[in-house]
Amino acid sequence: MENKKSSRDIIMDRILMSQPDPVAHPDVPIYGIAGDPVKNFIERLESFDGKALSFRSRREALDWLEQNIDRKAKRVYSSLLDFEGNVSDNDVADPHAAHIVDICVAQGVMGVGEMGSIYVTDESLGLAACALFSTDLYLLLDRSKIVDGMHRAYELLDLRANRYGSFFTGPSATADIEAIHITGAQGEISLTAILYN
Amino acid sequence: MTQVNQVKLGAKFIADTPHRESHDRCLWAARMRRDSVAQRIPEWEEMRELASQIKKHTLSHLEEYLIVFEERLKENGVHVHWALDAEEHNRIVLDIFQSHGVKVVTKGKSMLMDECGMRPFLAKHGIEVYEADLGERIQQLDDQQPSHIVMPAIHKLRGDVARLFAEKLGSDPDIDDPPYLNSVMRKDMRQHYIKADAGMCGVNFGIAETGGIVVCTNEGNADISANIPPLFVASMGIEKLIPTQSDLALFIRLLSRSALGLDITQYTSHYHGPRKGQEMHLIIVDNGRTSRLGSDYWEVLKCIRCGACMNTCPVFRRTSGLSYDAPYMGPIGIVLEPSYDLDRYARLPYSCTHCGSCGNVCPVKVPIPDLVFYWRDVVVKAGKDQLSHRIQESGMELVLRNATNLSHAEKLGLWALRNLPESLLTSRLNPWAKAHANPVPPKETFREYYARKYKKN
Repeated sequence: MENKKSSRDIIMDRILMSQPDPVAHPDVPIYGIAGDPVKNFIERLESFDGKALSFRSRREALDWLEQNIDRKAKRVYSSLLDFEGNVSDNDVADPHAAHIVDICVAQGVMGVGEMGSIYVTDESLGLAACALFSTDLYLLLDRSKIVDGMHRAYELLDLRANRYGSFFTGPSATADIEAIHITGAQGEISLTAILYN
Repeated sequence: MTQVNQVKLGAKFIADTPHRESHDRCLWAARMRRDSVAQRIPEWEEMRELASQIKKHTLSHLEEYLIVFEERLKENGVHVHWALDAEEHNRIVLDIFQSHGVKVVTKGKSMLMDECGMRPFLAKHGIEVYEADLGERIQQLDDQQPSHIVMPAIHKLRGDVARLFAEKLGSDPDIDDPPYLNSVMRKDMRQHYIKADAGMCGVNFGIAETGGIVVCTNEGNADISANIPPLFVASMGIEKLIPTQSDLALFIRLLSRSALGLDITQYTSHYHGPRKGQEMHLIIVDNGRTSRLGSDYWEVLKCIRCGACMNTCPVFRRTSGLSYDAPYMGPIGIVLEPSYDLDRYARLPYSCTHCGSCGNVCPVKVPIPDLVFYWRDVVVKAGKDQLSHRIQESGMELVLRNATNLSHAEKLGLWALRNLPESLLTSRLNPWAKAHANPVPPKETFREYYARKYKKN
């Protein structure tokens, strides 16, 4: 058995025998995106059926959530320390149980003006399952964390710091039947960016 | 093995006017949206070239990048497997599942898993795999292959889906409203998600530098499949690798704009290891890719599976993906499938009008139009071409060999048009006449006109 080469080594050998002549890696500029990143962000997010609300401070944003999220009628999961939900981490210790979540409130890490995307991570979401299974997802985002475009975003992010990191761009959607765009496929049905500062 | 006859299979779809028209309209709309978003970006063409260069760079240094990738994946806590072919891939998946007692799996889209025929294989071993992408699920329930790589059920009309869901999922057969059908799917999938023992999905990009995989989807199904069950298994072809995180920006900017004319997919997700309490496996697959790497058509490996070539192809839009009877269809399919099975797919390179549009829209500049000629050459040299093509080609070769032959052919053609009965000219011997009326014969050929007008002895 010792002589038998692993599939890995066979593949590597085959690659070494067949690699084309070396081609240099090109210099890729950090293409900037014209316009105000925040304005672009809101416009692009809305084009993906997401909503954006603007507040002067985080306090005001949280007040709005207090007034508009009905904890009596809905099951609310929050990853924020300064906003309480009524679904505890214990309730969703098995992520399968996250399907009970109606509303998820979580922190966005970065926004991208070019796309209207909000970068979230397993850490900022608390439990990603809650965001994905929720009906309504609210993502708080510090306005100063919105960058112009994807090149800048990938320059700044440390993807490796999180096991799961994702650009969420509007709520889940599909166009698989006659290419008709439908908002609310398998993941959240609404996504609201709560901008502050 | 019999050859796939795309012309014959496509003819059925062409004859079905409502399906054909809807298909053509949906895909052309995606192509037009692609143009309008691309035109908003001044550096679009530069980006295509850069993306092509990065892919070429990676493929020409694939061994070193795979070594780094594997090392980083392991550091990130990912179990890495290598599969020489489809059989080994499926065997690895089965071993993982059996050792974890997996019964129910939800799965995001993966062209590679389709290529490997994984789902039927797992079904034979009693493992239920639920396709979680709406289009893929429709195709699974209908026991058909996907007909497009990003819109798997785009050849169907809403009525087809309503009937299928009524039969298989017990929905109301009289409601064919797409939002209703989507909600049927959502409700049905939830019961599988909450029971799933494992989640699976394909990979859009592997990042060597960080040891992570990137999955781009719209519905959220892949993210749910990856984030909820205690076991997550993904598969990727060796060609999906890119060197660094900053390279990724280009590809993300190109991918969904090329595919659907949307700036980005709703979920652009990066996985760098299992979540707490989870196990994550990645299967890295060859299945013919290394032999492509060493061939004259290696640039086919640059493909990022966006489907732009399909949306623009005049043949594909009118015949639908099922007529290619292969995991990969449309322009990329006709230059990829013959490398899997030349006997079976020898006719596919002929399903092309040489309009060149696929080459113009490809975000990574896969030279599809050139590869079509390449594969025809291979097919002819292997003696697997059609007799009718051979006759046509020798005829053309004779006519176009020199000016004298061409001039005789012109005269002969004109004579035939004037003197032969219409029934003979539009007979089966002239397939051109199927969709074209014969022209009114001119008084003289252009050559005669030109000589009379300008050439005074």
